[in-house]
Parts: sequence; C-alpha cells; structure tokens
Amino acid sequence: MNRIVLISGIVIFAALVGVLFLNLGHDPSAIDSPLVGKPAPSFALKAVGTGETIDVARLRGKPAIINFWATWCGPCYLEHPVLVQNARVLGNQVQFVGVVFNDTEQKIQAFLADRGSAYPTLLDESGKTAIAYGVGGVPETFFLDRNGKIVAKYTGPMSTEDIQKNLAKAMK
Amino acid sequence: MIFLFVLTLLQVKVPDIAEAPKGLPVAGAMLDQRTNEVASLLRCPVCQGLSVADSPSTMAQDMKHQVRELLARGYTQEQILAYFERSYGQFVLLKPKFQGVSAMVWLLPIAALIFGAIVVLSKAKQLEQGPAEAAPADDPYLARVRELVEKQ
Repeated sequence: MNRIVLISGIVIFAALVGVLFLNLGHDPSAIDSPLVGKPAPSFALKAVGTGETIDVARLRGKPAIINFWATWCGPCYLEHPVLVQNARVLGNQVQFVGVVFNDTEQKIQAFLADRGSAYPTLLDESGKTAIAYGVGGVPETFFLDRNGKIVAKYTGPMSTEDIQKNLAKAMK
Repeated sequence: MIFLFVLTLLQVKVPDIAEAPKGLPVAGAMLDQRTNEVASLLRCPVCQGLSVADSPSTMAQDMKHQVRELLARGYTQEQILAYFERSYGQFVLLKPKFQGVSAMVWLLPIAALIFGAIVVLSKAKQLEQGPAEAAPADDPYLARVRELVEKQ
C-alpha cells in the first residue's frame, strides 16, 4: 500500500513539475499567435490625415508589416523612429502600415507631426481590427508575406535587427 | 508612400466572423444578460486574470461590445468563443478546454485529491489497528530509562 501511495505521489509531483517546466522561461506577456501561418484578417480603415479608406487586402504582391500602436503607449515612442527609418530604407520592397486603436485622430496627428511619418497610419475606431489580430497590448507587429499570409508576430518595441530577422521570413 | 496603395472609396471594413449565425438574435434585457455571461468566459488580454465582463479597460470594453453585437446578430456562445479563440488562442478562454496540456489543469487537481484521500484512509486504517508493535518489557534501553527516571 505504502509503495503504491509513494509511486502515485511521485507521478503527480512529476506531472506538476513537468507543467511548470514547460512554462519556465516563457514570457507570459508574449502570447504565441494562432494566426501565424494563416491569411491575415482583411480590413479597410481610414488613414489618419487624409481620411481615405485603405484596403489592406490590396497589399498583396509585396511583404507587409502591420504595426499596432497608440499614442498612450510608452514603448511606441521608442519604436516609432525605428519603424520610420526602416520604412524609408525598405519602402520600395516592403509595405509598412500603422494601425492605431483606443486613440483619437487628433492625438495621432499631433504625434506624427512631431515625430515624422513614412507610411500610412490607419485608425481602428471600434478596436475590431486589433481584436481580429489578437492584439493584447501595444506595440505588436505582424509580418505578412507577399500572399498576405502572417509569417511572424512580434510583441513589444522592435529594433532594426528584430525587423530584419522577422522580415526575412516574409521575404522567402 | 500612400500612392503605393490602391486607394478605394469603400466604407470602412472591419474583420468579421466568416460563418453564418447558428442561433437566434437576442435583444433587450436578455441581450444584456447573455453579453455578461459570454464576456465572463473571455479573458481580458491586457489585464491580470480579469474577465472581459469584469475589466474596465478599453480593450475589454471593445471585446464586450463585439460580443453584444454578435449575440444580437444571432451568433451562438460557441461561435463567439471560437471567433475570439481564432485570434488569441486558448489563452482568451477563462475555462480551458479539456485537451492537450490544458487537460492537466483539470486532471491534476482530481489526481491530487484522490492521492490525498488514499493517504488519509491508509493512515486512518493504521490508527484503527493500534500501535504497530508494543515495546518488549525486557528492553534494556527502556529499563535503563525507567531506572534513571525513578532516581530523580
């Protein structure tokens, strides 16, 4: 009887340790996106400043970077110049798109006027586009290949190296 | 840069559920109740362990609003949960599904409970049977202890 109890205890303990070990070193804020490998959800939103509706489904044909951000997001201030610089360099090969949610057009315009812009910024007023992309915070960035398939997701502010590393997957 | 896009004169279009509703549209007080019920099954992605129903964050409010809209259009609870799961993964479900590693969340507490019950029952049985073995009366160690105690 004691042996059975001991073995049962060891099995349960090992299972618990196993579950904990599986999540060891895993950043709980970095949630794997189930959208990677699938077609990017389609949307058409109004561009900040011009008011023109831009259909992102028409981006197919070249790799695209969709960056979700907001003016109230501290790390977005760090990331913005990196994105602008990369968009200026890669502009002909890659389409950059910014999507802002939970924000106002006035604040976004002021932000862009102050810090520069090199690609369209779309306003997601209802937050439905962010929800469809499974956005859990900002900044979050999705890398699309030329066929409109999501090949990578990056959570947090990106460096040029992060952009290049993920873009390589989209360029294949 | 903007000229690289094909600009359209279309209305704003947001992502939506591709499938048709499988239920009946809900309205009025029932819609409020069902919205809270379904929203309470979804995790707020920007909060610490709060449901979409309980969170005051704008993100959760947007999600709750979408739940309400989908219920009003006749989508079922299963369809709505599946829609959010497609975007966020199982993380968004406050009640994990009984599959894969998530099954451990359900199985381990039950296994631990059974294990605890077995330990308690086996100990109780041992107590019922009395001390395992009485110490022999002529144990020299006990005799020496008694002698020392009596001297004091």
